[in-house]
Amino acid sequence: MKKLTVTAEDCTGCRRCEQACIAAHSRAGNAALATLEKPEPKSRILIEYDRGPVPLVCRHCVEPLCVSACMAGCMQKDPETGIVNNVGHEQQCVGCWMCIMACPYGVISPSYDAGGEDQSSFAVALKCDLCPNLDTPACVAACPMNVLAVSDVPEPVFNAKGNVP
Amino acid sequence: MTYVIIGASAAGAQAAEDLRKLDPDGDIRILTEEAGPPYSRCLISRYADGRLQERDLYFKTDHFAADHRIHYSSGVRVTSIRPGSNTVICDNGETVVYDKLLLATGSRPWLPAIPGCDLEGVCTFHSLKDAQAITAQTSPTQTVAIIGAGFAGLEAAYALARKRLKVTVVERCGQILPNQLDAQGATIIHRDLERMGVQIILNQSVAAINGSDRATGVMLAEKPQVQADFVIVATGTEPNKGLAAQAGLETARGIRVSNRLQTSAPHIFAAGDAIEIDDVSTGKRMPSATWFNAVLQGKYAAYNMAGRTRPYTGAVGIQNAVQFHQIPAISLGQVLVDSDSRENVEVVSLSEGDAIYKKLVLKDGRIVGMVFVGDIQKSGFYGALIRDQVDVSRFRHKLLDKDFSYAAVHRGPQFGQRSPYQ
Repeated sequence: MKKLTVTAEDCTGCRRCEQACIAAHSRAGNAALATLEKPEPKSRILIEYDRGPVPLVCRHCVEPLCVSACMAGCMQKDPETGIVNNVGHEQQCVGCWMCIMACPYGVISPSYDAGGEDQSSFAVALKCDLCPNLDTPACVAACPMNVLAVSDVPEPVFNAKGNVP
Repeated sequence: MTYVIIGASAAGAQAAEDLRKLDPDGDIRILTEEAGPPYSRCLISRYADGRLQERDLYFKTDHFAADHRIHYSSGVRVTSIRPGSNTVICDNGETVVYDKLLLATGSRPWLPAIPGCDLEGVCTFHSLKDAQAITAQTSPTQTVAIIGAGFAGLEAAYALARKRLKVTVVERCGQILPNQLDAQGATIIHRDLERMGVQIILNQSVAAINGSDRATGVMLAEKPQVQADFVIVATGTEPNKGLAAQAGLETARGIRVSNRLQTSAPHIFAAGDAIEIDDVSTGKRMPSATWFNAVLQGKYAAYNMAGRTRPYTGAVGIQNAVQFHQIPAISLGQVLVDSDSRENVEVVSLSEGDAIYKKLVLKDGRIVGMVFVGDIQKSGFYGALIRDQVDVSRFRHKLLDKDFSYAAVHRGPQFGQRSPYQ
């Protein structure tokens, strides 16, 4: 299973990962032009601060709470790749925000903020999809400090007590 | 091993799916009163306003049973359970034998004791059938009266206002969403609904639903009656505990279960809206009609039914996310501070303009409740702090600051370790 790993100590807070994420998830393929799109793409990786900058990323959890919370059934963990996402399934995201409420890391966002104009269709939840169409996720490729990396980790199996060993 | 599950909503369907993973060779049978594949009750308002089709409500898809080799019997009502002989009796005369039984019987609308609830043109808003009845019997420009301004009532109000019906909501309390939001948070949603053209009458009890054979409106205690072509009763839900009680299982407001989701009968488990949970945010035992909790309970019940001990802990009764018109809102945990829960309680709040309001309720250095209206980003992080009962004393000065996030605790060992979700 692919996962993003973060070495937060080396992060300088340059936010190139955020820009690359926006570009990769825009129609224009460009972070500046993306600002003209409606709804405007948002970064799915977030630079937050503790003592220094810390990139917050989706863990593509073993038992994702966002999946359990989803009332539409569209948030799913792919059994093959381990990627957790709410697009590309039979069920569609309707913007109920249960996943946003459930994610302990706070890395899922609504597709537009309160006050958005589009009332006819559904706003949707936006989250990291590990860039399935790219060899390397855009944020990883853009990071000049090698803070972000993709690694292949074996999916943990629950033991008899139900805990991850 | 033969597993029988009564109910095919959030808890029942999840349990079946997880049981199949845990026991590839077991026999799994679902018995459900409702027709069709499992559907999402929480999405019926989006069906009622025409944005979703019935198929879109199938949260596990319509090939779920075949995919997981589940013997799925819809339209079958269980009439009794006999724990002595490990059997359940169905209304079609069939006797079904189980090794492990899961009661995922859900909740049903609670109706107030007022005359007229049985008239034509009166409906609850709880099932796909209800939404279909409302869709079939109403048309634009008609008037609808909705009794109750909880989630179900407001979901119905919003859906029908979108369909250009004239909607009036009557609420007994002094604010909408009285169990989920405080007055300030409720005001923001209230204004948003009024902008949609929904009329809201607060502080009024409904004395009766008027009409001789068909509803013509609702009679209020103190105000002139509200004329309506259709009336929706949305005054809350109660656990479906009847089958359990008749079978001699321990029940109170809901079915009582251990932390393994086991009832007082050893081979019978229960999950979802039908049970009572130990709410870590209030310290009280209460039913919880929440999709998220029902799914987790279904999952944990499956592990315990399959013989893998997996305690279900850290439950919070109120965990709701909602967006009616343009304002998203989250309420989680103990959001109301009343006279008997005021001790050692502290409230931190923030409002920006008239569209954003955030409030945290703290008790003994821990967050026990949260209301986020207008801006719900990072609400899940606070939700985890509540569920995991994390001591946030050292962050007290910046709890609602923009840069308070998971980053602040990412080095700590105390967070996210209690649950195996990472």
